[in-house]
Amino acid sequence: MKWSSNKSWLLFLPAVLFLILPLYGLAAAISQSFQQQGEWTLSAYQQLFQSDRFLSAVGFSLEVAFLSSLLSLLIGLLFTRSFYPYLASHTPRLIVWMPMLFPHFVWGYMVILLLSETGVLAQVFTLLGGDDFPTLTQDSRGIGIILTYVWKEVPFVILMLLPVYATIKPEYYDLVKTLGGGAWSQFKQVEWPHLLPVMIETFLIVFAFTISAYEVPALLGTTFPEMLSVLSYNWFYGSSWDDRSLAFAAMVLLSLFILILTFIGYIYMNKKRFRMMKGKS
Amino acid sequence: MKKSTFSLFALILFLFPVFMLVLQSVSETWRFQSGEGIQFQLDSFDVLLSDPNLWEATGWSFLIGTVVLLINLVIGLGTGKALTLYSFRGKSLVEAILLAPILIPVLAIAMGLHLFMIRVGLADTWLGVVLIHLVPTVPYSIKIFHNAYRQLGVSMMEQPLTLGSSPLYQLFTIELPLMKPAIRSVTFLTIVISLSQYAITAIIGGGNVITLPMIFFPFLDTANAAIMAAFSIWFSFLPFGMYVLVEGALLLLPYSKKPWRISQ
Repeated sequence: MKWSSNKSWLLFLPAVLFLILPLYGLAAAISQSFQQQGEWTLSAYQQLFQSDRFLSAVGFSLEVAFLSSLLSLLIGLLFTRSFYPYLASHTPRLIVWMPMLFPHFVWGYMVILLLSETGVLAQVFTLLGGDDFPTLTQDSRGIGIILTYVWKEVPFVILMLLPVYATIKPEYYDLVKTLGGGAWSQFKQVEWPHLLPVMIETFLIVFAFTISAYEVPALLGTTFPEMLSVLSYNWFYGSSWDDRSLAFAAMVLLSLFILILTFIGYIYMNKKRFRMMKGKS
Repeated sequence: MKKSTFSLFALILFLFPVFMLVLQSVSETWRFQSGEGIQFQLDSFDVLLSDPNLWEATGWSFLIGTVVLLINLVIGLGTGKALTLYSFRGKSLVEAILLAPILIPVLAIAMGLHLFMIRVGLADTWLGVVLIHLVPTVPYSIKIFHNAYRQLGVSMMEQPLTLGSSPLYQLFTIELPLMKPAIRSVTFLTIVISLSQYAITAIIGGGNVITLPMIFFPFLDTANAAIMAAFSIWFSFLPFGMYVLVEGALLLLPYSKKPWRISQ
């Protein structure tokens, strides 16, 4: 079917209309980050780079988001790899995807219920005669935030990786075995090429979400250091009008960072795909 | 690895936390450290459900979630089909652009759209909130329906065309009945993501559109653990309610097994 032969490209119309929302939103955020009291200025960005509060939020956000994404991916991969035959049937899959039924902040509350200083674990710890239960939630190192994210994202990672494992033909494993390869070469030669594009995509989705979402750090974080999202949200609703442009500038820088990361991932994957196609011919 | 290992991991990691939430919601706030056991009660649900704000917020969340879901279905189905049917230059770029809205911080988009929403009169309205909830949901729906259409295969869509079916007839008799799993996934994902939005709902809704998250956060400061647990469980009722509705709508499709019809 030729693409111009009928009116069917109208099918793209709703998506194009939808794309106006994020594109306009981002463009407006960029334009407002360069404005203070109706004048065009770079001062929001200058202020940001001189603000210790902002710089420590950047470091903290990168650390928390990177650790959360990496741990989610690793645990999700291990889980899927070890158990995917069992995940073919209905009930086990439903159990694994249980956390996806709840919003992130509800899962965050569950982490508080179980792991805070007055939570279930701490109560049992005290009952058994222990004292000094470690601070795992609303802590300055972001442990509570990371725990919530990893716990909540592992099922998502499994959801993304499961189709990959379902499509790998068992003959490939036999081939590696016949050629004398062990478990590692099975993973490296058979699974990894299939996994890599999905892993990059999943990492980007989880990383972009964890570094920019407000709800979980608002619930499980402290006032210092804060995540960028919390800081920007507070600036947006801050008392001073100038703080708003700081919120915009911080969010624009974050968006730019994520887009660059995505671009690198995209180029890398396309290169791989290109090389694979060349190898085939 | 063994099946028992899997069961152990799955139960501890994913079922146990939900079980604890349910247990806390129907028992007095736990004080295990003083050797107290579990005392069952249902007051927490009484307190929660007697709060008029809760019912209002549930109504708004449900309305917003439903409209967001419907728009997601329209965009997802159309785009998923188009991406499957047509091959053109730069298709992988188009796919990447369609996924991009879940990578750009939705907080940035909501802040950026805020002034625009004020100008066109959508700020502080539930329709404005619906629009902003589309941003983190639509890319997933497109992805899910794209996969579903790809599995369906192009030939499945060319056949009705050659037989002279109209696109809508084709949608209801062939595509939708064959894509029920995708519709279910989109339903769950969309409603849960919509229910998860506090910050962007607050920005666009301006505190006037009170959805469930808008009262969950203030509750944290005042309510005890049993009530908070009950509230947490309440959140999972909405996806189930929506699921039942969608399942009912799917029964109306042709070529569906009707439970009230005795099969022969």
